[in-house]
Amino acid sequence: MAQERIGVYVCCCGTNISRVVDVDAVAASALAIPGVGIARAYKYMCSNPGQKTILDDVRKQELTRVVVASCSPHMHEITFRAAIQRAGLNPYMLEMANIREQCSWIHDDAAAATEKAIALVHAAVERVKFNEPLESRTAKMCASTLVLGGGVAGMAAALELADAGQQVFLVEKENCLGGNVRRLNLTAPYLDSARDLLQSWTARVERHPGIRLFLNSELTGLKGFNGNFTPSLRTGDGETLELEAGSVLVATGYKEFDAARIGQYGYGRLPNIITSFELESMLRRGKLETKSGRQPRNVTIIHCVGSRSQQFHSYCSRVCCATALKYALEIKSALPDAHIANLYTDMEAFGKGCEELYRKCSEAKTSFLMYAKDRLPVICEAARGDGSEMIVNVEEQLSGEAIEMPADLVVLMVGMEPREDSKQVARLVNISRDKAGWFIESHPKLDPVATTTDGVYIAGACQFPKDIPESVIQGRAAAARILAKVAQGEINIDAVYSEVQEKLCAGCGTCFSLCPYGAIEIDEQKRVSRIISAVCRACGCCAAGCPAGAIKVRHSTDEQIFAQIEGVL
Amino acid sequence: MAVRANPNLIDELEHYGARDASKCYQCGDCSATCRLSGDASVFPRKAMHYLQLGLEKPLRSTLDPWLCYYCGDCSERCPRGAEPGETMMGLRRWLTAQYDFTGISRFLYRSWASELAAILMLALVTGAGFLGFGYILGGGNLSVYDGAGAFLPAHDVHIFDWTMGITLALILSINCLRMWRFTMRGEQAAPVSPSQYVRHLQLLPLHFFTQKRFRDCENKRPWATHLVLMLSYLTMLVLIMFFLKEMQSGPKVNWYVHSFGYLASIGLVTVTILDLRGRVKKDEAYHRHSHESDWMFLILLLYVATTGIVQHVLHRAGLPMAANITYVAHLMGVVPMLLLEVPFSKWSHMAYRPLAMYFAALQQAAGKGS
Repeated sequence: MAQERIGVYVCCCGTNISRVVDVDAVAASALAIPGVGIARAYKYMCSNPGQKTILDDVRKQELTRVVVASCSPHMHEITFRAAIQRAGLNPYMLEMANIREQCSWIHDDAAAATEKAIALVHAAVERVKFNEPLESRTAKMCASTLVLGGGVAGMAAALELADAGQQVFLVEKENCLGGNVRRLNLTAPYLDSARDLLQSWTARVERHPGIRLFLNSELTGLKGFNGNFTPSLRTGDGETLELEAGSVLVATGYKEFDAARIGQYGYGRLPNIITSFELESMLRRGKLETKSGRQPRNVTIIHCVGSRSQQFHSYCSRVCCATALKYALEIKSALPDAHIANLYTDMEAFGKGCEELYRKCSEAKTSFLMYAKDRLPVICEAARGDGSEMIVNVEEQLSGEAIEMPADLVVLMVGMEPREDSKQVARLVNISRDKAGWFIESHPKLDPVATTTDGVYIAGACQFPKDIPESVIQGRAAAARILAKVAQGEINIDAVYSEVQEKLCAGCGTCFSLCPYGAIEIDEQKRVSRIISAVCRACGCCAAGCPAGAIKVRHSTDEQIFAQIEGVL
Repeated sequence: MAVRANPNLIDELEHYGARDASKCYQCGDCSATCRLSGDASVFPRKAMHYLQLGLEKPLRSTLDPWLCYYCGDCSERCPRGAEPGETMMGLRRWLTAQYDFTGISRFLYRSWASELAAILMLALVTGAGFLGFGYILGGGNLSVYDGAGAFLPAHDVHIFDWTMGITLALILSINCLRMWRFTMRGEQAAPVSPSQYVRHLQLLPLHFFTQKRFRDCENKRPWATHLVLMLSYLTMLVLIMFFLKEMQSGPKVNWYVHSFGYLASIGLVTVTILDLRGRVKKDEAYHRHSHESDWMFLILLLYVATTGIVQHVLHRAGLPMAANITYVAHLMGVVPMLLLEVPFSKWSHMAYRPLAMYFAALQQAAGKGS
């Protein structure tokens, strides 16, 4: 190691680090470590002059490895890897010591913090000595896409992809396209017909030469990795079919909350309590009446059924408020003399055009009664002289009065929840679900359509309750993401992944069961594990779990780890 | 106790002029901006919400609408155009109809055509009655205005005035009693001891004569004009009820009596014209909306005041026949105005408003606001 020359760069991060840590002392201490040829402290290492310092040193001082003591590698590892690559080094000959998040930001004691920073830098120097130059590889990118779900999100993505000239396999469980939107009459807030909205799209999807539509079909298996998936389908005819797809888009949608789960609403017990979807079908048929065939004079709409509740779903289903307002106007236009009472917890009609919708409903004399989330309204059968079918008892929050509201029809605004098969779908395509069962996106803000599995995307209400425009947006965004990958022509496989040393492997399968990414296959013939490097994320579970020590994680080898530990001590 | 909602209430209130209350979304800006609204009674916000929910019974027992003098600040400030000021006005009309045991008030408020027909009918009956009386039982000579042989002897008119006054006072008293029952004996009202009733009794004349609560509104002008109108009206009433003989005597001017009449006439005509002008121009929030009953009240009042002045002038000018005819025409306005307005319409608030202040103070003293 005598010919190695390591450069150590200590960043002040303005005063973020230097306010607490004595950066000059850290640099001086690093210079004393054998192998370190140069050590400097600088105001902003990530700035252009900072990077140029590293670049010049590598070239002029013939550095072979570099340590940057600054922020978290999440922040700037890519920056510094690129900098040393520009100087002619392999990008993996870099280590970072995090002396900001793990040191200056969390400690007040300057002396102790400096001591800790010195230890972290020592650890990084010792580790970098064992770094090996690594090269990333590429694999082919198959241009076709498998779309699961023929609702608005799935259709939006399928049309976008097919219009761009790529092959789409659209798989729908039901016997027709449209998903839940097919069950609606009008849509909020502009009262456009849902049927008209769908019709133009379903016709295009059915005719499009780039879309192969599989109705009554479902996914039964998915093998392969990003760019190279082989999904298996069971089609409506009972056939099984294997396809080739570079990307998978999950747009499986939602189902409605089962109103019978809230006992006190008496859904199923009293005849004139219906769910929002039942009202939609009444409105579609143009027949708004009670079970006994009378026109309802008083209609009560109860919001947040199953949503925003401690007992059922803590989340807001997001579309029900606007939908309930839409109902008020629809009912009012069908029965101008009817009175509509909205029993809500908070009015959350937030989207474009929804405030105006709320106003319109107010002007149409819809009444709004606020109930407390923990004191649900109680629906009773009316007595003979009451002149209505039911009496709804509400403890109205804004007036503080216990109010008896006469009602001939009660509409329960059932919230959205994940479909029963969401767990099965998640397992098939290897994505994760949150506590409620919604699919989890890669990043809630910056990457809302990708998942933690490369090549698998999500769109629409399978991720969380969404309205139609949001589902369309996400469908199209996923299509754009996929098209960008297709345009690259091939996929990059990170140089950092685990490798099995076949001579040591007994094929016990421990690693197979530990891997959270499904990146390990067992070669039954040779009785050894094999790691699909394109899927592996180098988390190290397999290496740590292997009883034979047969697995090596590139860029986190045992030598590197032990040297790092030695360094910190 | 649970309250049964009446979903039709908000439709009913439209007839009384509260047309925009459904737009309210309970932000509370109206109550925040109101100088008179306080912790004990949060208005207009509370009443707006009760109306939206159709809580008829609590609304019938609330004093809130009477505690508001309609300066219009709330309506100016309302972000939804829900017109809280006009809603309170509508509620006052509705409450007037609720207090009225005959049901006539509701009938008149709900249909302007009926009100107009009632005015015209009463006017014709009055005209015919006084002419008949003049020719058959009175002096019989239309060219004698005062003194012996007067066409309409002051003495007889005086008896008529008192009969009508006592009848109207009786009806209004029953309505006031109903107001007391609704507001002070309801489920929500705290019990008030007789001694409390006595202790706060001075509030009645205080609010009646000064309307000092109105002065707490930011804009003082409406208070001033309203006070002038009320005092003029009251002066005229006292003159007619107690000094009719002196009023009708002449042709010499009796300054001890007539000077009051002149001042009151100036007050009545000026304020009525100002009010009519305000309602036409709609510059102020409190004049922006006019119920049909507002127009009829103002027009009748102006008519009565002008005919009263004209008959007086004609009498002094030595034109007794013209004075007599104008006098009958004057009575044709006075009778329908008093008969309809005093117990059944706008005039009744002269009684309800001070009563409301009195009751509200009693409720507060009894440990509970309205």
